[in-house]
Amino acid sequence: MAQAGIKTVILLSFVLAVGFLMIILSCALWSNWLPLLVALTFVLAPLPNAIFAHCGGDDFSADYEGSGPVDLGRFITSTVVVTGFALPLVLAHSEIIKPGACGMSIVGGALVYGTILAYTAAFRQEDSDYD
Amino acid sequence: MSIPRSNYDPRRVCLNPFPNFTLGKHRRTVGIYLAGGLFALANWTFIDAAVLSAHAHSPYGEPDVPPPVHVGFADWVPGICSLLGMLVINLIDKDRVRGEEGFGDARAVWRARLFLFIGFALMAGGLAGSVAVLILKYVLHHYTEQYTYYGYANVSQNVALMLSAIVLWISQSVNSEYEYNLSI
Repeated sequence: MAQAGIKTVILLSFVLAVGFLMIILSCALWSNWLPLLVALTFVLAPLPNAIFAHCGGDDFSADYEGSGPVDLGRFITSTVVVTGFALPLVLAHSEIIKPGACGMSIVGGALVYGTILAYTAAFRQEDSDYD
Repeated sequence: MSIPRSNYDPRRVCLNPFPNFTLGKHRRTVGIYLAGGLFALANWTFIDAAVLSAHAHSPYGEPDVPPPVHVGFADWVPGICSLLGMLVINLIDKDRVRGEEGFGDARAVWRARLFLFIGFALMAGGLAGSVAVLILKYVLHHYTEQYTYYGYANVSQNVALMLSAIVLWISQSVNSEYEYNLSI
């Protein structure tokens, strides 16, 4: 995966576009724009991890991952990810949105978040190959 | 202090049931992600019940009867207690509870254990309160399953919050033992 080149970038951008397309379609087909919150949630999901990752770990012990801020970032990240999956289910359960919109927004959100995860996994190798 | 780390330490009050829980390196990360997921799941279970109550339908087959019960403030109280308890538990320094002296005085250990007790009492009170709300508000009035769902959602919220706190505690204290073994 270290040879992640331009094809990976193009593929991931296509998947990201398809994800956003699914979410926007799930809003626009039923003209109920609440599922757009799912896109916002999944875009914001890796943010706490990215912010708090710089708070620990740059001590002399590089492999020590037991600092509080890093844990807090991971906790918030997984909370936000579960929120992204739970929000359309809750809205569909109360019949605020249709079940089709629920499924489409969940699939689209999973594609968006998977794109973000795959991007960080594919391009993280270059700057940290010493550990 | 020159007291060796033995299995039986006379100063200990609570024995750690997993003294040598040396898991892999990523177990801590997995545990914390799991705890966060359980936390969100707990709160969304209850929010689902609250949203469902706000958009409640009439009972099945009787479209003219209004919904007999709604989620009120009494349903929110056990969840708030559990959240406060989880906050208190996670604010405590875990090395201090374990009773290893060397920093602070002995009264700090006592105070830390008191706060830990308050935190766990809040969580257990939340769980017991949710069961009480389920029985007193929903089961005893013989509502249909459409409405007793609010009470069950409340109970499962508190159970999941407690599980989340336990997973978080274990995954954070496991690694300290692990690191300790490594640093020797």
